Amino acid sequence: MTIAENLFENLRLELRRGCLTLAVLAQLRQERYGYTLRKALADDGLVIDESTLYPLLRRLESQGLLVSEWREEEKRNKRFYRLNADGEQMFTKLLGEWNAINASVLKALDASPSETSNTAL
Amino acid sequence: MELLDRYLQAVRKHLPWQRQDDIIAELRANLEAQLEEKEAELGRPLTAVEMEDWIKQLGSPLQMAAHYRPQQYLIGPTLFPIYRNVLKIALIWATIIYCLAQAIALVTKTPHLIDLVRALFAAPGFLLTVAAWATLVFAVLEYLVARQIVNIPALCPPAGAWSPAGLAPLDPAGNSGAKPKSFASAIAEIIFGFFWLVWLLLVPAHPYLLLGPGAYYVSALPYKLAPIWVPVYWCIVACGALQLGWNLIELVRAGWQKTHPLLPLVYRAGGLVPVILLLTTKDHALVLLKNPALDQARLGATLSGINETVNMSVNSVCAVLSILLVGGIVKLILNTRRKRLAASH
Repeated sequence: MTIAENLFENLRLELRRGCLTLAVLAQLRQERYGYTLRKALADDGLVIDESTLYPLLRRLESQGLLVSEWREEEKRNKRFYRLNADGEQMFTKLLGEWNAINASVLKALDASPSETSNTAL
Repeated sequence: MELLDRYLQAVRKHLPWQRQDDIIAELRANLEAQLEEKEAELGRPLTAVEMEDWIKQLGSPLQMAAHYRPQQYLIGPTLFPIYRNVLKIALIWATIIYCLAQAIALVTKTPHLIDLVRALFAAPGFLLTVAAWATLVFAVLEYLVARQIVNIPALCPPAGAWSPAGLAPLDPAGNSGAKPKSFASAIAEIIFGFFWLVWLLLVPAHPYLLLGPGAYYVSALPYKLAPIWVPVYWCIVACGALQLGWNLIELVRAGWQKTHPLLPLVYRAGGLVPVILLLTTKDHALVLLKNPALDQARLGATLSGINETVNMSVNSVCAVLSILLVGGIVKLILNTRRKRLAASH
């Protein structure tokens, strides 16, 4: 991997990190277990590695944003997650923040079309 | 399935022991569901190769387990800038102390090249030990602060705890380097340089200018300076004359405001020449007896003591001048690199 590719990969991961949390919180307004959550995110175009998603669920739960319960489904015990009240509040706040950032970036892109036309494409 | 079991077993080994069962049970449920779906899509069980590919894509067991652990730092981002500064200061002081200690150790006994080589090879080990201790202290601090076992506001001040009013006033020299020399100080330098040279040239004929009334007592002593002091003396005179001449040229060229960065290094290197001349004197005999045939038996031991002390002083001066020269070279390299970087940006 070249230095430029490495830099891009680092910046891409940095950019994705916060977005992943928001996407997971959005999906977990509805109860899901790990694998179905991963599938739902992938169906929406956001592919997440198992080694990233499953530990993230644990972290969000320990931060008090999710609740989980073990339940049997299709003859297999699975751990289901969903947002709790604090998680709902946090999601609303983060969504507002994300929308504001998104709007700012779009505004900046509109302000300098010549410089960013390639990126926009 | 056996490969998945082996994978999960390997992941378990790297997980925090309190949560191993829970995490593995969840991971197994998720991965088995994924595997079942894959097999349902294919309409057959995965072949050994396909199974291996799938497991490989999950990441190594260590990698998978690492994500379940909280993010850990040996020294975190809050303490790291302080650690870096402390480490830098500790290493600079350790180098100075080590050089002085080795110089003193070398001059207090008959110096051998092997001792110098040993001292040089031992230096990295000594500096690494200093760095290791500094790192260890900060790693312990990080552990204590991160777990809120201790609270050190001086190290981790809360955000907003600083006051802009406490910022140092602007440096008048800005970032452009050293403060330019004033015309008055350039003139004063030339006047003092001239008188220093005149004084130096008068000292051999009029030693009381150096020793005061003590000159008469010294002349009565049975000792004299070794002949090597003559070239050493003329070296010092030449250095003074060169410095004075250069300062005069700079004044005429109106270039006194900014000293050339190489000049201090040239002066320091020039200062080393007479010291090295003294160090290379045969048998380190810098002081001799005026009448050795008469006084050698009586004053030989005292003379050795005097020479030992004078040599020790010359060695110390050499060590200090060498450190100053090396420090100057390092500073010049760093300044040049900084300017080059600034220019490239």
